[in-house]
This record gives sequence, C-alpha cells and structure tokens, in this order.
Amino acid sequence: MSKPQYDRTHHAKKATGIGDPQCFKGEAGPPKFKEGDKVRVRNRSDVFYTRCQVYTRGAVGEITKVCYESPAPEDEAWDNTENPVWFYSVVFRQQELWPEYPFPGDTLETEFTEDWLEPA
Amino acid sequence: MAEKHKPAPMVDEVSDFEILEMAVRELAIEKGLFSAEDHRIWTEYVHSLSPAPAARLVAKAWLDPEFKKLAVTDGIKASLEVGVDWINDPPTGFGTPSDYCHLRVLEDTPKLKHVVVCTLCSCYPRPILGQSPEWYRTPNYRRRLVRWPREVLAEFGLVLPDDVEIRVADSNQKTRYMVLPVRPEGTEGWTEDQLAEIVTRDCMIGVAVPKPGVTTNIPKPVHPALRPVQHDH
Amino acid sequence: MADEDTMTGEHGAVTVEENVAPIPLLEEIRERGRVWEELCEEYGVDNPDPPWKINLEGTYIALDLCRAFPWLERRNAEDVVTEARYADLPAPERQVMALAHSMIQRGLVSERDLQRKMKELEERLNRV
Repeated sequence: MSKPQYDRTHHAKKATGIGDPQCFKGEAGPPKFKEGDKVRVRNRSDVFYTRCQVYTRGAVGEITKVCYESPAPEDEAWDNTENPVWFYSVVFRQQELWPEYPFPGDTLETEFTEDWLEPA
Repeated sequence: MAEKHKPAPMVDEVSDFEILEMAVRELAIEKGLFSAEDHRIWTEYVHSLSPAPAARLVAKAWLDPEFKKLAVTDGIKASLEVGVDWINDPPTGFGTPSDYCHLRVLEDTPKLKHVVVCTLCSCYPRPILGQSPEWYRTPNYRRRLVRWPREVLAEFGLVLPDDVEIRVADSNQKTRYMVLPVRPEGTEGWTEDQLAEIVTRDCMIGVAVPKPGVTTNIPKPVHPALRPVQHDH
Repeated sequence: MADEDTMTGEHGAVTVEENVAPIPLLEEIRERGRVWEELCEEYGVDNPDPPWKINLEGTYIALDLCRAFPWLERRNAEDVVTEARYADLPAPERQVMALAHSMIQRGLVSERDLQRKMKELEERLNRV
C-alpha cells in the first residue's frame, strides 16, 4: 500500500473551527450497534497497525456509548481519511478480561471501531 | 536594621540535558522539519494549560445538577463554561495531535469509581487538565492499572471496599477522560472556589478522592509496587 | 492472552525495530550531565521541573504535525528506548535522551550534527 502524500491543508480546511473528530460527522452512515448491545471483540489477524488492545481480543462486553465518527486508526496512520467509521465505547467485566481476577464487580471501558466488533 | 531580602534561589547552571534539548530542537528547525515560530506557539499553548479549569468543572457540577448533566453528556460544551475551548484554543483550530476534541466526563457514584489510563501512549485530557504527571506516562502504571487496578490504587493510598465497582477507562482512541469524583462529606455550604481547591489533578485521574483540607497531589506513589513490571530484556 | 501484555506497543504502531544500541554521544552526556534533581539540591531550588521540559512538549507536537515523527510512533520509541537504555535517569532527562536517541536512529538528526550543535550552544551560552 503506497503512502499518500500527507495533505495537511485538506485536513486543516475540513477541520479548522470544527474539531477532530467533529469534522467527520455524518460520513460513516448508520451505526451498526446501539447502547446496550452485547458485542464480542473480534480476533482479526494482526494488522500492521491497530489501537485495539491485545488484552480485549475475544472478550464479550456491552456498548455503553455510540461515540463519534472518524477514520479508523488503521487508516489514519497511513493518512487515509476517506472512510470514517463509527467508534463505540464498550464496557467489560474485568473477570472476562483476566484469568483469576478476584473482584466480580470491577469493569473496564475502552473504545473500538465497528470493524473490531461483532454481535455476541 | 532592615532585613536584607534574599532573592529567590535559582539554578545558575545550564546542564548538558538542557543543551541537548536545545540542540535537538535547533537542528530540527535547521533541517526544516518545523519552524521556530511553530515551536514557540505550541510550547506557549501547552505551557498555558493547567488542572484549574477541570477542578472548576467538578466544583460547578457538584453545585449545579443541570451543569452536571451537561458535563456528563457533552464534555466539550461543558469545558467552554470553564473557559476551555478544545477546538479553537489549540493553534490548529481543530485540536492537538494527541488531545483531539472529545472529552468524556466520567461520573463517580458511591458505588462506582472511575480511574483513567492510556495503555498505548499515556493520552491525557491536557486542554482542561494540564500536563500529565510522570508516573501516568510510565509503562509501570499503564501496564498494571488495567490488570491490577486495586493494587495500583492502594499504592496511591486509595483502598475501596469490594462492593464498589472500579471501572478502568483506557483512552485508546480519540476520547479523553476526566473523572468527576463524588462530593465528599464536610463540604456543605462551600463556595465553588473552596470546592475546586480540594479537587486535585490526582482526583480527576481517579487515583485519589477529594478530601476537605487536602489540596495537593502526592508527588509519586508512596508504596513500592507489589508486583512491579518485570524487565526481562 | 498474555497476562502482563497489556500495552500493545508492538501492535499499536507502524512496526519499526527500535535500535537500542548505545550511542556514544548520548552515553557521554549521561556520564557528565547533571540532572535537574541534583541541580535543585545544590542551588536550593524547589521546582519539580526544569524550565526546558515544556519545550519537549512543543517539539513532540511539531514533529507530529510535520509528519517527521508521528505521535504514537514517537511514544512507542520512547517507551522501548527508555526501558532499554535510559530507565535509570529521572523523568525529563530520560525523555530528552530517548528523543535524541530515536531521532538519531531514524536519521532525523545525526550524532555528528548534534555534537557540533551542542558545542555551538555551549559557546553561545558562555558555558565553561
């Protein structure tokens, strides 16, 4: 994949006075998930670049918030900003994430792009 | 006899590290990576940031339930009311490369305690909370908080009962988090200023809770780590 | 799931093998350099941070915006290089060392230029 010339002026024109990620609002289409949905973090084959933490792979959690639209970090790292996606906040029980986590009530919340989630 | 007023002590020496910082920067400028002016503008912006607006946001939220609702649903809008414009304050006009423009204020309850980390790179809500403390940036904190939150909090002197849910928020994308702690007892009738004074930076990261009379952060965790990160390379 | 593998540095950035071999100039600086903590003690100063620390923050942003050294890549390099080489130094010193180290390794600045520039600055600041 060839790296496009970083077009700072394009992003600046689009985002100045509007904000990032605000500047991508409306570009991702309808969100696939909604608050309260149970989702599983997919175990996608390791992409060259990702912000999806290893410790969440395969875990089942619940959507707490449909957050914003933005290019996925996998795309944004290569300056591909043409295809924004929805970002979701997901909460997990810590006992779901870690072997022998002693406190059943504790949780962890973090964000995922739609591609990384599937219905559980 | 008038007492001679002693001037404030100053470090009267330029260290090699100070020279190194300058050298790296000037070389980068010489090479045309960025301009001296850009560097100055950004440094001034970052230098202007502090935890004061965030503390005021918390104090306002404690005093005004409507504002608290706003803070929890729209952190960017609520920030404007304490003088922080995530979008237009940074010189870009659309946020900084690390801070972006999406603040979520996490509301604690007596049964829910939030604590914030960024395992990937120590992201932090700088526009409203200022610079992150050094311990927040260390792999020691980042690796361990998600895995052993109660142990890490105990090292900060914060021990919570089992029936309180501890929720770790890992800011791995564009959202930046700050904690809105529970208003402590003993603050009845306090003014916004008085309340803001006890909301320290550590309280808004989530490793401390506000207490009447406590207005400073702990310099660094006071207890040695029970399970320090192993360095096996 | 690896128990301690909670940071995803190796997954979370464009994969670059960090060269953590010692750099003679930086090792020299480590030897002779006086850290802020030490200076504060000698001069009776109370400031937790040296005045130059904030300049680093400006440099990080500037390096990202010009794309010479994007944020996450720089942070990952800082983590790896610090743990391998500069963990014994206090915070602002290890940060500037890690930055210089990773910039040299990436060819953003050369060790020779850095040495030249430091000499120039020492003279400019009338440092004996």
